[in-house]
Amino acid sequence: METIDLKYVDDLIEKTGTGREKVLQILQAIQAHYGYLPAEALQRVCELTEITPAAITGVSSFYNMFRYRPAGKHIIHICVGTACHVKGAELVYDAFNRYLEIPAGQDTDAKSLFTIEKVACLGCCTLAPAVQIDQVTYGHLTPNTVSSVIEDFLRQQELKSKVLPVTSKPSAGFKGEIRLGLGSCCIARGSGKLQQAVQDVLDETGIEARTKKVGCVGMCYQTPLLEIVLPDNNSFLYARVRPEDAKPIILRHFKIPKVKKKISYSVSTMLDRLLTDNIGTKTLRYPLDVREDQVADFLGKQKRIATEHCGNIDPVDIDEYIKSGGFDAMKNCLTKLSSQQIISQIHISGLRGRGGAGYRTDLKWMAVKNSPSKEKYVICNGDEGDPGAFMDRMIMESYPFRIIEGMIIAAYVVDAHKGYFYIRSEYPLALKRISEAIEKCKQYGFLGDNITGSGFSLELKIVPGAGAFVCGEETALIASIEGRRGMPRLRPPYPAEHGLWDHPTLINNVETYAAVPWIIRNGADEYSKLGTEHSRGTKVFALAGKIAQGGLIEVPMGISIREIIEDIGGGIGGGLTFKAVQIGGPSGGCVPALLSHIPVDYESLHDAGAIMGSGGLVVLDETDCMVDIARYFLQFTQNQSCGRCTFCRVGTRRMLDILDRLCTGGGKKGDIEELEHLALMIKKASICGLGRTAPNPVLSTIQYFRSEYEAHIEKRCPAAKCKALISYSVTDDCIGCTLCAQNCPVQAIEMKPYEKHEIDKSKCIRCNTCKIICPQDAIKVE
Amino acid sequence: MTMPKLIIDNREVEVPKGSTILEAAAKLGIEIPTMCFLKGIRPSTSCMVCVVEIEGTDKLLPACGTIAQEGMHIETNSSEVIEARKMALELLLSDHLGDCMGPCQMICPAHMDIPLMIRQIASGQLKSAIETVKKDIPLPAVLGRICPAPCEKGCRRSFFDKPLSICLLKRYVADVDIAAAERYIPICRPSTGKKVAIIGAGPAGLSSAYYLQQNGIQCTVFDKNEKAGGMIRYAIEPERLPPQVLDEEIAIIQKLGTEFVLNRKISSPSELLDTFDAVLAATGQEKLPDCSQPGIFAISEKIAKQKMAVRAVEEGKKAAYMITLFLSGKPVVEPPKPFNTRIGKIEADEINAFMGLVSKNQRQEPKTQYAGLTDEQAVIESVRCMHCDCRKADDCKLRQLSDEFHARPAKYASERRKFVQHIQHELVIYEPGKCIRCGLCIEIANEAKEPLGLTFIGRGFDVQVAVPFDKSLADGLKITAEKCANACPTGALAFKEIISG
Repeated sequence: METIDLKYVDDLIEKTGTGREKVLQILQAIQAHYGYLPAEALQRVCELTEITPAAITGVSSFYNMFRYRPAGKHIIHICVGTACHVKGAELVYDAFNRYLEIPAGQDTDAKSLFTIEKVACLGCCTLAPAVQIDQVTYGHLTPNTVSSVIEDFLRQQELKSKVLPVTSKPSAGFKGEIRLGLGSCCIARGSGKLQQAVQDVLDETGIEARTKKVGCVGMCYQTPLLEIVLPDNNSFLYARVRPEDAKPIILRHFKIPKVKKKISYSVSTMLDRLLTDNIGTKTLRYPLDVREDQVADFLGKQKRIATEHCGNIDPVDIDEYIKSGGFDAMKNCLTKLSSQQIISQIHISGLRGRGGAGYRTDLKWMAVKNSPSKEKYVICNGDEGDPGAFMDRMIMESYPFRIIEGMIIAAYVVDAHKGYFYIRSEYPLALKRISEAIEKCKQYGFLGDNITGSGFSLELKIVPGAGAFVCGEETALIASIEGRRGMPRLRPPYPAEHGLWDHPTLINNVETYAAVPWIIRNGADEYSKLGTEHSRGTKVFALAGKIAQGGLIEVPMGISIREIIEDIGGGIGGGLTFKAVQIGGPSGGCVPALLSHIPVDYESLHDAGAIMGSGGLVVLDETDCMVDIARYFLQFTQNQSCGRCTFCRVGTRRMLDILDRLCTGGGKKGDIEELEHLALMIKKASICGLGRTAPNPVLSTIQYFRSEYEAHIEKRCPAAKCKALISYSVTDDCIGCTLCAQNCPVQAIEMKPYEKHEIDKSKCIRCNTCKIICPQDAIKVE
Repeated sequence: MTMPKLIIDNREVEVPKGSTILEAAAKLGIEIPTMCFLKGIRPSTSCMVCVVEIEGTDKLLPACGTIAQEGMHIETNSSEVIEARKMALELLLSDHLGDCMGPCQMICPAHMDIPLMIRQIASGQLKSAIETVKKDIPLPAVLGRICPAPCEKGCRRSFFDKPLSICLLKRYVADVDIAAAERYIPICRPSTGKKVAIIGAGPAGLSSAYYLQQNGIQCTVFDKNEKAGGMIRYAIEPERLPPQVLDEEIAIIQKLGTEFVLNRKISSPSELLDTFDAVLAATGQEKLPDCSQPGIFAISEKIAKQKMAVRAVEEGKKAAYMITLFLSGKPVVEPPKPFNTRIGKIEADEINAFMGLVSKNQRQEPKTQYAGLTDEQAVIESVRCMHCDCRKADDCKLRQLSDEFHARPAKYASERRKFVQHIQHELVIYEPGKCIRCGLCIEIANEAKEPLGLTFIGRGFDVQVAVPFDKSLADGLKITAEKCANACPTGALAFKEIISG
């Protein structure tokens, strides 16, 4: 047994401090350094700090990110968020385990090269199914592309290609700007390589154009995106750009300086290929005209408030933010307006919390303001844990200053001088951008003492999460910051009166803060013109699942579901039919196709048995099994339950037991009634929102798809999804190409060239590989 | 608002600001059931058995942790509240791994407290042992010689080696009593003035007389034979059951005041109703006429056909209970069955956990056929018992409340956890399978500043209470073991040495 070198721990504690609240920070550092939490290291922490063995054990075992055994050299995080789940993440997970020959019950291969972990949601839903190997994201995995992904990763490790930091070269004459979307999804689709290619072209040709990284445009289904902006303000947007397209696109818009004319290149042939009008191809090679139907549809119905200036500004360029009106609202508030006036504006705007509960923001601010205390806090809840939601990630990555501005205004209103960003650790880029943004604000005097001479002071810090969905609940979040297990407690009392360290605390969601500056700047009346009577303004949604054009959208409240899915999202991909849309994540419900006319606002969704939630919209088609979806969500909430109260801890498990049986052929008469009975009581008697809303997906799918449940009791899965209830067979369309036999991971198909193949049902593991690979669509699933 | 006024179950109460609903209810004399609550410790609002209904919200809130506010209207006993309490208990029971009564006791038709008797033998408390035995079985010396011992078939020790020799241990206790200078005679209640005629002096009739006399009811036992005993006397070979043993046992029943009228056959029970307040037909083989009249009770002839004396004894006890109710004018019901959870069949890999530090002695066998165990053998045998019964069977809140609310242990039954017990501590035993995650022990250890104490490990359904760093319970609870065991609402943390009884 190797002895661990504990010097790191000693130094860490010296640097960090010995207070009990430092436990999470210390644990994260230890895990980052050793790759896991060695027992000796933990014991050492207890020796040197106020942290007790009970505390360090209790806290470290609560959060998902910590491990007590060494991991492999690389960690493969397989996303099992909603969008990935409906696109077959489970099959991908099984495929990884098979390919790496990982023994049952373990998570690391024999050579200790790879460790596999399921992760609740990476927030890259439009790339579903997605995996992240160390810091590299891969999208659109299938069971038979697993091997190529691993090979590519290992090759990348050898080459160690890095993404260049983007530098804006000060150029003598501004010839134009090349903008690259560099959100997480974009990078996963290859914009990092594209950025390298662009830089190479500029170096090679000497063209004096500025490169600029921009935040998320939201058109995730079109990434990598590249936009050329010329001095005359004409802009050209290119989608799905490959690295080899960088040169022809740049050369099309920029002249090569005379000095470098001698460089030869075969542009003409490239350009010829570029200028075809082959609209239907997967990759678009000509600039997207925003008047173009597809793009117009996607962008047209949107209204950018929280995502204002999307695609135009560099996320961490504070000057640019200021130039487009940034911090004007803050200055106005701090120097000219009183708290009451600001609250009044928020009241008129009708802004409701965007985290999911939809509580009136002005009331919350008022409550904190009126709680008497010398010490108050503001917190930004960036623990977006809903699988299938990535709006907050995008806002944090792309508009960090906007959030900060909103927080400063809020802090001023409630009289708080300290604040925290609680950001989940699964969002490393968001953590980075917010951190940079805070530093820049400090430099410019927008944070710290005496902000812009107003006399108001505010200090903001970041606390990264450690992998616990329940920490999105405000009392659990507070417990987490205080260095305790993230377990919610009974409310009242509310954090507005007794919050962080028992002081009055304002907690709002990322998107809520991001809307505030616009409201102040443009006036509350303008904001309240959008939306519906009780749901004013706009909402950012993450559109994912079986939708043709997935991505992030911001739309006025009141838009119908049908408009979102068909007009903006381009309908269902692959010629299949829209069945339902899951709204509100694991706390929400399924709205069936027949209700797609209903408006998206808090009240209508509630009446339909769903909730607005944080904004995840996962679209489902006829190949999705509603019982499986309900089970998926309940599995998630069950896994994330803190374990405090009986109805949630045990009740949801018993509901899950029933769903497990239904999906594996053990359904019994009375199961549906039992599910309903448990669900209603769990909703009434759970302590926090997690338990109270966990039964929602089950109740709403029973409400609208009861017949599917009944079929499962009869051991049938009408959507042909539940593995235990379906069988794969080869139809007469088989041409005997042997592809299925070649790729079957368990050799359940005998290779018979030119003859109709047959699947041995006793061996078949229903991994779906043959169906994906068959060129004749000759595999039947029922 | 210094003293909020609120209404609980339609009654008004005023309480100091900051009081909980639980405290407010207590002020009115309304006792709301709790499990995870302990005065002096901040409520964890975990078990949710104390939920109440509050007008104006459809949520059910825990009374222990909800602050009473001015104008609240609270219901502590509505049908929804009762349903919620029951469901909370049933959910907890679905994840509760324990046997309130040991499997042996559950299987015994008379439900004799076998584990207790065995512990009393082990500690030499034979006077207590005979009391324990006779609480449920009036003819132990007889049964200890003829009973087929279904209890032994269910004894878990057989997964390790051979089952406990329960029948012979009982015989031992009975024989010691017979040989004693002063035999054990139960205390009888003052006479009620009521009289019961029992037809048939077999095991059922004798048993019912034994219990009726204790209830202050005068019994006269009629039998057609020359001597009392029925099938026991006349159908069992004397080598196996010497007649004098039977006589000794019957003598005790006589000492309680029972009258015997032998050589008398009764053909019609109703004729006895003139002189007696109730009649019990316990003849075994024949079915008598008029058995459906009020005041006439009968033991089913099916019992005799089974030829298990212990069943007959149990039926006699049951009949005595019911006749006593009848004679005091109360509605006649069967004796209530105590609430029990059961682990059921154990897996092969669990036996070591059950064995713990229990003696590995082999099963003691009598020296000759028809012989009993010697004093030495009895002790050696008795320490083989694995103590499957719960150490807190009489003191468990989960059992008490489940009984009160008629919670069904099997309602949400699912795959169960593996049996584990932590036996390293000198004073207490910890069975995680019985833990309801209330966190009281954790809080108590924490407040007392135990260096290690206890903590929650993990999260959600699989969260467990354990000692940090995988250390032993002895390291974890150095000064608070007693306090924790007392606070634990179930048998999860219990004192090791309880003879009880």
